[in-house]
Formats: sequence, structure tokens, C-alpha cells
Amino acid sequence: MIQVQNLTKDFSLNKKQRRELGNEYKDSKTLRAVDDISFECEPGKIFGLLGPNGAGKTTTLRMIATMLKPTSGTISVLNYDSVSQGQKVREQIGFMTGQTALYDRLTPAEMVRYIADLHGMEKVTFQKRKNHLFDILDMHDFADRRIARLSSGMKQKTSIARTIIHDPPIMIFDEPTSGLDVMTSRAIMDLIRSCKDDGKTVIFSTHRMGEVNQICDNIAIIYKGKLFFNDTLDHFKAEMTQPTFEDEFIYRVGDA
Amino acid sequence: MNLFTEWGMPKMKFLTIAKKEIIDITRDRRTIMMMIVVPLLLVPVLMGTVFKITMSQAEKASEKQLKVRFIGQQYAPNLYSAFMNMEKTIMLDQIPADSIPTYIQEEYLDAAIYIDSDYQSEIDKDGQAKITIKYKGTDSFGITKDRIRSVLKESEIEIISQRMDRLHLKPEIVKAYNVTFEDVASDQEKLGKFAGGWLPYIFIIFGFMGAMYPALDLGAGEKERGTLETILSSPATRLDIVLGKFLVVMLAAFLTAFIALGGMAVGIQRIPDIPPEILTVINDVLSFRTIGLMMTLVLPVAAFFSALLLGLSIYAKSFKEAQSIVAPLNIVIIFPAIIGTLPGMELNGMTALIPILNVSLASKDIIAGVINPVYMGEVYISLFGFAGLAIFWCVKMFNREKTIFRS
Repeated sequence: MIQVQNLTKDFSLNKKQRRELGNEYKDSKTLRAVDDISFECEPGKIFGLLGPNGAGKTTTLRMIATMLKPTSGTISVLNYDSVSQGQKVREQIGFMTGQTALYDRLTPAEMVRYIADLHGMEKVTFQKRKNHLFDILDMHDFADRRIARLSSGMKQKTSIARTIIHDPPIMIFDEPTSGLDVMTSRAIMDLIRSCKDDGKTVIFSTHRMGEVNQICDNIAIIYKGKLFFNDTLDHFKAEMTQPTFEDEFIYRVGDA
Repeated sequence: MNLFTEWGMPKMKFLTIAKKEIIDITRDRRTIMMMIVVPLLLVPVLMGTVFKITMSQAEKASEKQLKVRFIGQQYAPNLYSAFMNMEKTIMLDQIPADSIPTYIQEEYLDAAIYIDSDYQSEIDKDGQAKITIKYKGTDSFGITKDRIRSVLKESEIEIISQRMDRLHLKPEIVKAYNVTFEDVASDQEKLGKFAGGWLPYIFIIFGFMGAMYPALDLGAGEKERGTLETILSSPATRLDIVLGKFLVVMLAAFLTAFIALGGMAVGIQRIPDIPPEILTVINDVLSFRTIGLMMTLVLPVAAFFSALLLGLSIYAKSFKEAQSIVAPLNIVIIFPAIIGTLPGMELNGMTALIPILNVSLASKDIIAGVINPVYMGEVYISLFGFAGLAIFWCVKMFNREKTIFRS
């Protein structure tokens, strides 16, 4: 379970950034990336955070993963506070982005071992879990090859394995399919579904409406740091006044 | 937030990070080149080559045929004969007097000796005969000047002794002192003061170079690859991450400096024709105690460089930006190391506190075997103090959101 309450994040701006952002921020010392948002993600359900680039999705997910500290508001992950119990929170999560984020000079076996060690996994538990994952992802053939020499599909499998090696109850996916081909994207979507089936709490950010429609149970629409919708996908569909998802999205954030 | 509130000591996560970073950087050819190949092969080759070239140039200069034009040989025939009889000398009497400056400038002629027309009359009346020598002062080793001076000196001594005989004077009249200089400095001290400055220069440079690439790779490189998020979202604390990375960068810096020292030891053995007594002194200098003492200086220097470079590297947005930030630092660290090699620079209460310079000066004294323990203590305090500050700053950089996610 993830509970986000009145979450706000401000970033301080330097002169150069103020200039780049234009007149609106000429006299502003901060940029509000996330503005007083609240939502809940439940176990066994996929929560989709939907918004265009720069909406505040990554900032929100980074705050949940304790990489960034909220300016105000609270985040509770399995009842651990993200600020005062950061390490406890990180023990519960698996974090995956569109980048494979792997070390080229390690092998897939070493890569997952590294993450498992950071999570303090017992040797026997690790070995069992690794074998299981390498079986279902069909990774044994390239487990001891340097990551730099792997195909992008093999790298993606390695990235999946390192994200879930410690079997985290909370999964955070930050635009996991961006820049991937159809086949690899499908593998990621399958992973997200399997996480749901395993009863994990899943939060998934994307700017692709189609993906949301495919897998999400609950969605939140975020734009310019503010939430414009936060309910089930079924409700969203029921309330739709526009013919397509894209049109509905633009209609809802249109006045912002 | 207190930097140490999330200290993950019980699980030693920093060691897990350090272990992974060691595997990672030792598989990188560029790091291995910089850490092992360059200091171990390049240093001895460079040392041997420089020494060989210097020796052969010196030999060439002393073997050189000196081309001399003597103007006024009719006024000083004896002096002319003395030059004629000088070894490896050719008298070029046919060069026109007005072309002499051009000939010297273009190095067809090494020197021209001008004798005044009143040479003999001045000698006869116990006066001073005027002799002017034109030469080009840029020739290597000052061989021309030295050889001409030696002929003139011999001739002058002969004239003076004739004058003294005539006046029935003893040589002591013009030479009141019989001075003997007795040098109490041991060969080790002399070598230490002469070459001691260069030894730390080598390991300071190599320590820095050894830390540079791993620091860039482990900081900016990690950001660029997107792997920083992977470890930031793991249970490892920021302090674990910094500490793990820092230890590996420091190890690389230390090893590179140590290997460079080994490279120098190999290089010295490669230098031909070292007199055996000097070689004995060098081998004494390269004793376990001296090297051990110097390595205790390298350790805090390596820590200082590593923390500084890692902090800058994590600040940079990309590997390329990190390189451009770090490159000017090369000059900053070389500067105090060079000052340390200057004659007259000594380790004292003040210089012992200036980082890098103090390493250079302390190493000189360690090699010479005259290190003052009080100053040595000051050097350690200064170096560990600066290293501590650099580590603290580096941890702060890792804790700053603006730095970690700077884009």
C-alpha cells in the first residue's frame, strides 16, 4: 500500500533556469513540480499515473522511492514514512525506468547478485529466486556474458531480473516502455501484470493512453504538478465525454 | 539532516558497493592502462630515455671541435699558440673580422677572441691586458666558455708567476687562504635534496591521475548510464554509496602512486653507467622504511584527491562535463608539487601545513633521512584534515538533490 497525502515538491531555480523558463518564472525563486496531490495505491492493483512529459510523474515516483524529499506532505509505503524511514521504504520497493540502467562491465548474474546483496538477501534465498527468475526469463544462456555484449532484449530481461530479484511488495515503474520496441514493451507489460497477479502494489507512470487502458485498475491524471482525476479506470471510461482517451485527457486538462 | 542518521554500518553495504566497483573498474581497459601500464612501463622508459639523451648530449658537447677566430695574434703570439695547442680546437683565421658576429650567431663559429693592440705593453708594465671574447651563450652545457676560460687561466697563471718571480714574491702573497671544504652531508642526504623533490612529484601526479578516471566513471559515468537511480532506490544509504565509491577511487589512486614508485625503481636500474656508489645510495633510499614512510603520506593525499574528484564528478551532468571540470585541476595540483622541487624550499612549521607542497617537501627530507618528527606530525594533521574536509564535502554533494539530479 502506498498513501500519498498533500504532496508538494518545489525545486529552487537559478538565474539561468529562470531565463530558460521564460517570463512566467522571471521573479520566481522556485518551480512547483508537484502541487498538493493525494492518492492511494492498493496491493494487487495497478495504479497508473498518467500525464505528459514534465507533468511531475517522475518527481512523484522519485519521492515515493525516497530519492527526493517532499517540500510538504507525506508518503507512506507499507506504513513506513518516506522521510524518516527512508531505508525501510527502499527495502520494500523495486524501481524500474525506461533505461535499462545496467552496468556494462558486469554480467547479468553479477548484476542481480549486486542488487540482492544491497537488499541483504540470504545466499540460499537469493539462489532460489535467481534460478526461478532466470528460468522464466530464459536467461541462463547469457547469465555470464558481459552486459555490454548483450542484445537489447537480453538487457531488458536483465533489467527486469534485477528489479524483482528481492521480490519487493511494492513496484514502481517510471515510463518503463519509453523508447522500447514492441516486443520488449510487451515483455514489460507482462511483467507489470504478473506483479499484480502476485498481489504486489504497482504504480506505473506513462504518457501513453493505450497502455493505461490495457493494464490499469486505478488512474490519476497529473498535469503541471496537479491531479485532475483520481479514481478507477472504469469510472474514467464511464465519465468520458470525448470519443478517445487522448481527446478526453486534453479536454480535462484543457483549462489548466 | 544529519549525514550519519542513515548510516548502514551493521550491514556494511558500502563494502558491497566497493566490491562491485572494484570488479567494474578492473574490467575497464582505460583504468588498467592508467593504473598499471602507464606508471609501470612509461615511467621507466621515460626516465631511461631522458637520462640517455642527456648523457649523449653532454658527451657530444665535450667531444665537440671548438672553432675559434683569434683577432690580434700578432700582439699575443704565445696566447695564440696556446689556443692552437688546445685539444679539439680549430683556428679559423680566414673568417673576415666583420662577419664574425654573423658566423657566431649562425653557429659556424663558436668563439672569437679579440686582443688589444697594447696587449704586450700592458703585460710588460705589470698592467692588465684587455681580452674580449664573443660567443653564443645558448650552447649546451657552457662548454665553449669553460674551455676558453681554462686556456686563458693557464696563460694568466704563467704571466703572474713570472711577475712574482721577478719581484721575488711568494705565491702566498696573492693567496692568503688555504681553504678546504669538507662536506658532512651523507650521500643519501645529497641525493635526497637533489632528487628527493622529483619522487613525490611523480607519485602526486600519478596518484591524481589514478583517481581521476575511476572518480569520473563512478560519479558522472553512473549518472550518464542511469544506474545511479538503481542504487539510490536500493536500501543502501547515500553515505554507503559515497563511502563505497570513495574507497575504490582511493585504492586506485594509492595503487597507481605505488606502482609509479615501482616504475621509478625499475627505471633507475635501467639507467646505464650509474656509478656503483650512487647506486648503493639509491638502493638505500628505496628501502622498505623510506618507501613505507612515503606511502603513509600518499594515503591521505589519495584520500583528498579521491573525495575531491568524486564530489566534482557527481556534480557534473555527464562524463564529458566532468572531464572539463577536472582537467584544470591537473595544473592546480602540479603547481605546489613543482614549488616543492625548487632549491631553498624547506619543510618548516608553515610549509608543513600546505597540502601537496608538504608532501613534496616531507618526501625530500624522508629520502635524505633528516625528517623532523614534529613537522611530519604537522604534515599528517594537515593532510588528514584536508582529506576529511574533502570527504565531508563529497558526502554533502551526494546528499544534495540538486547535484544528484542535476540536468
